[in-house]
Amino acid sequence: MRISTQHLFESGGASIGELQSGMLKTQQQIASGRRILTPSDDPIASARALEVTQSQSLNTQYATNRMYAKNSLVELDGVLEGVTELLQNVKSTVISADNGVFGDNERNIIATELKSRLDQLLGLANSRDAQGNYLFSGFQTTTPAFVKTATGATYQGDAGQRLLQVDASRQLAVSATGQSVFQGGGQDMFQTLTDVIALLQTPVVTAADRTALQTGLVSANNDLKLALDNVSTVRAAAGSRLQEIDALDTAGDDRGLQYSAILSELQDLDYTEALTRLSQQQFTFEAAQKSFVKTSGLSLFNFI
Amino acid sequence: MATNILGIGQSALTAAQVGLNTTGHNIANASTPGYSRQVVVQGAALSQNFGYGFMGQGTEVSTVKRVYNEYLGVQVQTAQASKSGLDTYYAQMRQIDNLLADTTVGLSPALQEFFKGVQEVASNPSLVPARQTALSAAESLAARLQGMAGRLREMEQGVNSQVISSVSAINSYAQQIASLNDAIGKAQRASGQPPNDLLDQRDQLVVDLNKEIKATVVKQGDGDYNIFIGNGHPLVVGQKTSTITNVASPTNPEKIEVAYQAADGSTVIVGESGFVGGKLGGLIEFRTKSLEPAQNALGRVAIGLGTTFNAQHQLGFDLNGVAGGAFFNVASPVVRASGLNLGTATVTASISDTSALTTSDYHLSYDGSNYTLTRLSDRTVTTFAGFPQTVDGVDINLAGPVVAGDAFLIRPTNAGASGISVAITDPAGIAAAAAAGAPGDNRNALALGALQTTNTLGNGSVTYQGAYAHLVSQVGNKTRELEVTSSAAGKLLTESKLAVQAESGVNLDEEAANLLRYQQAYQAAAKVMQIASEMFDMLLTIGR
Repeated sequence: MRISTQHLFESGGASIGELQSGMLKTQQQIASGRRILTPSDDPIASARALEVTQSQSLNTQYATNRMYAKNSLVELDGVLEGVTELLQNVKSTVISADNGVFGDNERNIIATELKSRLDQLLGLANSRDAQGNYLFSGFQTTTPAFVKTATGATYQGDAGQRLLQVDASRQLAVSATGQSVFQGGGQDMFQTLTDVIALLQTPVVTAADRTALQTGLVSANNDLKLALDNVSTVRAAAGSRLQEIDALDTAGDDRGLQYSAILSELQDLDYTEALTRLSQQQFTFEAAQKSFVKTSGLSLFNFI
Repeated sequence: MATNILGIGQSALTAAQVGLNTTGHNIANASTPGYSRQVVVQGAALSQNFGYGFMGQGTEVSTVKRVYNEYLGVQVQTAQASKSGLDTYYAQMRQIDNLLADTTVGLSPALQEFFKGVQEVASNPSLVPARQTALSAAESLAARLQGMAGRLREMEQGVNSQVISSVSAINSYAQQIASLNDAIGKAQRASGQPPNDLLDQRDQLVVDLNKEIKATVVKQGDGDYNIFIGNGHPLVVGQKTSTITNVASPTNPEKIEVAYQAADGSTVIVGESGFVGGKLGGLIEFRTKSLEPAQNALGRVAIGLGTTFNAQHQLGFDLNGVAGGAFFNVASPVVRASGLNLGTATVTASISDTSALTTSDYHLSYDGSNYTLTRLSDRTVTTFAGFPQTVDGVDINLAGPVVAGDAFLIRPTNAGASGISVAITDPAGIAAAAAAGAPGDNRNALALGALQTTNTLGNGSVTYQGAYAHLVSQVGNKTRELEVTSSAAGKLLTESKLAVQAESGVNLDEEAANLLRYQQAYQAAAKVMQIASEMFDMLLTIGR
């Protein structure tokens, strides 16, 4: 076949150019660490990588949400622990009041002590979080949960229970309403305390008075037991949610690792393969350059 | 009369000179594009009968011809048109491919940051900094969508200006070919010999023309080239050319279309399938098949996101207890009446169901009794007699007098990405609560956050991110396909060129050999003449 001189130069230049652009691409891959430089390098993997990135980002966000949930539940548990201690304290005080030796005077002293306990309890019920939101007002976080009345306290919040998205398909309650904690389970702590204070302040004169006192104390004792049970139930629920969060954390961490592994498989460069490819390309490139110089240098004109 | 030795020597000398000239010309044009090597056609001069036999009268040069194979030439033209078309399409497509390539600046991270912000609001509904973060993330998401739409718009403008320059190049080639038709005809008639270099020039111009558009050559009996483009439109006939021109699309003034210009100056727009191959064909195919669908796909994500997010947002209440307003400003469909309409009817379109939206534009026309709505992506036709109509989630209405032949272009999603913005400025305006006056209520924020993973688009089959990923994979696949096909077309072109070069190209070694051959022939001829001269001298000495 006839080979024209023009073609000899053109094809030599073109193939060197092709080899060069192949080398450049490998070099770019190595420099960026990415196998896929543009979606066209692997359209399916590119689209898949986008989906996985979203899952990964969501997974990270759920972990953040779980941290918030944990903080809220731990805070809730702390307050409830205080309520439990206070109630146990009140309970033993009330039991101690049922003493035949005590006179009106002693009972008044006990009543005064219980009054301060009532204020403490109200303080706990109106606890606020770090941002100043009332913990037990439901969704009415800017309104104190309870306000003191003559017969106990009135709930000012609503029935809202705050849920957080802690996993793809799991929303977890991270708050308890004041009503359910302080006035749930067939009792009302504020009323119980207010009643027992009034009872202790009532002078005992007749035998009927004494009977009324004793009956009142027994009923107060029962109510306090109900109150303690109620708080324990709420605490147990919060505790089991904390456990669930721990379990979800472990699962979430595992998933995060899986997503990273998938993404790495989809996008990342196999350096061994890439570097081998580069040296091979370099070898071919040099060979092409040298052979081009040699063949294009051959001319009959050199001899005439 | 004896044979004229001097005359024979001289004819040989002249032939050797012509050979040396031609060889020199070949060497000089070894790298001229489109040059075909020339050869001397030489024959023995008519011999004379002297009674004792026929005596040769030397040599004569009958012509200098170029070595050119028309069949191979046509192959190069065809391969060139398809290669240029695919190359242009590929080069344009790579711009979109690169736009979507960067994982750090694409749409995806902005979308994720935005929903992260929404989740933070769900976790801390009354915390103003969390709300501010969500709002800022929403603004950067809108800005990202606008930015990407802006880049696509720039590409659209780039296509417009390239279409204009390609059209002017085609007209200029047409004129040059027509004047070469003229020059070649004149030269041939005057001398009866082929004007080789002019022929090469004309063939090269046809190849150059094929870089811009697929052109078919019909060679006439008198040697003229008649050139046809598109669906048989005569671009060059003999020495006459017809002009193609640019006009703005009647239904979209921002889009430059190609039109034939008739003798009276009126223009006829060439349909998008009218041109194939060449740069112009590649540009138009890119615009129709890839650029506009990409704009629409991005617009669909923006409109889908804006509309569904707004709908949920408006169910809630903000931090001040006020019912939630629109969170995003969402772009409306763009409707344009053709500039050629005789009626004054206006068409309005609004989106009623984002999940049913497609990424296509629609063409509405009226034939005097019925309306035809064509979905441009797949040419699906809906025919109806009256309004309103709902097609693919778009409510379409028409008001005012309409005349047969009137046409409208409806682009439901085209402005979606460029037209999205955040409607609220006050962080307290985010409607996180499901009930009024409940600052700790995060139920609506949870519902808003859940939209990220809800299949809201494509008839409930994909999420926002999924719809975007679909665009990325479509663009990636198309780019890859073009990379492969344009490289294959390149190979085909190289082979066709190689075939032409093998036949017509100059080989310098061959020319060097010819140079020696003609040099020796010249020396030999001179020797013949020298001997003739010496013989003559000898005769003169006899008489002394």
